[in-house]
Amino acid sequence: MRNKNRVAAIAVGLVAAVSLAGCSSGSSNGSDLPSSLVIDTAFTLETGDPGRNYVPTGYMVSKAVYETLLDFSGSDESTPVPGLATYEQNDDATAFTFTLDEGRVFSDGSPITADDVVFSLERVKGMTESKANFLMSGIEVSKVDDRTVELTTETPSLKLPALMTNPSLAILNSEVVIANGGTTDATDAAEGFLNAESAGSGPYVIDSIDFATQVVLAENENYNGDEEIDFDRVVIRSVSESATQKMNLEGGDSHVAVDLSGDQVAGLSGDVTVTSVPSAQTIFLLLNQSPEVSGITSNPDFVEAVRYALDYDGLLELTGAGSAQATGVIPPSFLGALTDGVEQDLDRSTEQLEASGYDGETVTLEYPNDYPVGGVSFTPLAERIQSQLDAAGITVDLAPAPFTTQIDEYVNGREAFSIWFWGPDYADSANFLPFAAGDKVGLRAGWTAEMNPEIGALASAAANAVSLEEREGAFSDFAEGMQESGPFIPLIVPGSNIATADFLTGVAYNSTWTMDIAELRAK
Amino acid sequence: MGETTPVARRYPARSPLAGYLLRRLGTSILLLFGVTIVTFALTNLVPGNPIAAALGEGAASNPATVAAYVEKYGLDQPLPVQYATYVGNLFQGDMGTSLHTRQPVTEDLLKAVPATVEVALGSIVVSLAVGVALGSIAAYRRGRISDQVVRVISLVGLSVPTFWMALTSFNLFFLQLGIAPGSGRLSPIYAPPPHVTGLYTVDTLLAGQWESFVDAMAHLMLPVFVLSLFTIGLLTRFVRTSVLEVLDADYVRAGRAKGLSGPRMLFGYVLRGASLPILTIVGLAFGALLSGTVLVEAVFAWPGLGTYAYESSTSLDLPGIMGVGLVVGVIYLVINFIVDMLYGVLDPRVRLG
Repeated sequence: MRNKNRVAAIAVGLVAAVSLAGCSSGSSNGSDLPSSLVIDTAFTLETGDPGRNYVPTGYMVSKAVYETLLDFSGSDESTPVPGLATYEQNDDATAFTFTLDEGRVFSDGSPITADDVVFSLERVKGMTESKANFLMSGIEVSKVDDRTVELTTETPSLKLPALMTNPSLAILNSEVVIANGGTTDATDAAEGFLNAESAGSGPYVIDSIDFATQVVLAENENYNGDEEIDFDRVVIRSVSESATQKMNLEGGDSHVAVDLSGDQVAGLSGDVTVTSVPSAQTIFLLLNQSPEVSGITSNPDFVEAVRYALDYDGLLELTGAGSAQATGVIPPSFLGALTDGVEQDLDRSTEQLEASGYDGETVTLEYPNDYPVGGVSFTPLAERIQSQLDAAGITVDLAPAPFTTQIDEYVNGREAFSIWFWGPDYADSANFLPFAAGDKVGLRAGWTAEMNPEIGALASAAANAVSLEEREGAFSDFAEGMQESGPFIPLIVPGSNIATADFLTGVAYNSTWTMDIAELRAK
Repeated sequence: MGETTPVARRYPARSPLAGYLLRRLGTSILLLFGVTIVTFALTNLVPGNPIAAALGEGAASNPATVAAYVEKYGLDQPLPVQYATYVGNLFQGDMGTSLHTRQPVTEDLLKAVPATVEVALGSIVVSLAVGVALGSIAAYRRGRISDQVVRVISLVGLSVPTFWMALTSFNLFFLQLGIAPGSGRLSPIYAPPPHVTGLYTVDTLLAGQWESFVDAMAHLMLPVFVLSLFTIGLLTRFVRTSVLEVLDADYVRAGRAKGLSGPRMLFGYVLRGASLPILTIVGLAFGALLSGTVLVEAVFAWPGLGTYAYESSTSLDLPGIMGVGLVVGVIYLVINFIVDMLYGVLDPRVRLG
């Protein structure tokens, strides 16, 4: 009997302890601030090596641990500001001279020199298997002196300063990386080391990385930059289900939720602050211009009929906070973006439809049905488009498929009529020039350079501009040209919603690294 | 010297059970080989371009990166060569490198499988205890109120969508009542224990981390609860039916006539007689728990096999998909082997047949 009582007592004690653990999760350290800042996000994390990284969570981590030559201030991505260095350029925009700040050190206390810059950039350029390798395409790096580095290009490249903000081009402690297998060619073997330890100069260092569950950052004791961090430990957790992110935040188990949809932030309860802004993604319709792929979608009058048949405000109803109508292929926060988008004009649509000779045939609309972008699911969007086009006299059949099977058809230009999206690889309007005829995205719509040489000329002018004023005008002209004669119909720029506990401030959305963890402060 | 009569050479007698187990083991190995062929063939039949899916827009248009990627992962080799390499590497414990995580698939699975095993083990233990109890009660009290109540519980367990139950219970017990912890296997304030078994509840104890152990147990509660509901419903039905059949058997009636009753009757005679169909369903349910917890793992941010399978398939990570397929195949083979073994132990007719 005594044994039974003892077992019962142990069981009750265990249940009580477990329940208390449930209640006490996320407890604070006695002060008003939690002992760790907890960020929930749907993980896209493949490596701790910034030079090999190309995915959002990896960028967020790299941004906190490493520094780049240049940076962006808050959410303003139009003009790079000094990071580890300041820069000057020549009149042709082909030579950029970077001067390192004096006295800056890595996390082991060693000084940051021009040799570290040359090694870091040459390393990315030499690692052909790195997804970030293309960022260094056409850029030559040379050391001028211990604090100065020159980057040169053969053609004008005003996008280069924006490129130097990308965390993939972070400056690494060359001595440490070389000692752990780092090289500037394809034989580099430092990834394993960088998956466990960091070799940067950012406000944080890597404490631990588990690619499936969480990344833990600790304060960089030797950091001597401008950021003043309020949290000496940060846990970035993998929470793929956005409903769980929402409940974790409301229940106090986390302090930042990165992937909430517009509808979810509208329903948030508790002491929560939401930062909603248009993201840098653009969701668009593609109408293939190759007659071999589709006779009707390659008809320019039919493209115009579709463009003016759509009720863009009606489409926007399907999205949530922060979303906006796409005014062109360049999203609102980028240089050259158009102020106003297309408005529905059913009379014009009817005229263009008659001119196209459309005889009521069914057009099949393809889209990925398992890949929401910024919380916007493509299935209701496709259904709304189908309904709107039906009202305008165009019969549409829907053909959804998983992303992984759909993307091959899209990339190879085999889709006649489809919904897709495009986001920038780095924060510069040059990212949107591939929409031009004969360029990467243009060819996916069967749009060859010969079909519209004028657009090619506008894209070339934008790419080769040598001054900011000239550049802005050239990108605007390109965006307008695309709206007038392109086979793409930009629909929506989905919102980015970052929800935080009420005690936090300093959230600023960035299209590459989502947010700078070091800028999160306690109110 | 008298004439000696030849004596037949004597071999050590092999027990019927050992022969039975050897036959089952041989079949399992052949099946395992079949599993590798099926997973490899099906994975490579999936339409889509793994390079585009893995590299993303920018890198996929860089010929140098694509060439390096194709060479690194052997994607330029003919399929038979890829298969031969795959099987050859399997013998060395190498399941390839994930295109999604860029880590060895074996390492990924060594982390993911214990996470799922931990929650599945908890769930099957709870389900067995509750399901056998409820099923037995319902059978003993056939037609009475308690039988009706148990049958309703069973129906609810089987009918309620697991994903919905996971979200609802997380909302209720964590967000509304505050008696369950948030998502994941441990609270963010604790570091994961040193990897020994991969089961946090065990590893925290081995490391002497008592607080972490309690926290790991707390995080285990809700996923186990949600996963158990369906299995309890399933087991309750099977136990009830099996026990009802046995209750009418002559040997049970004879036992009752001799005055046997209570736990001795239930555990010694009734449940033993009803054990074969129950064992079958327990094996299948455990297999399903180990391989089919995708949605529950998603809600509770549980980094197990289901999460890994989902992420591998949505990113067209062929080595990852093959790894999961193989592990799931092995799980079912092992469970079936164990169930068959227990059949042999419980029922002599099986091993002699």
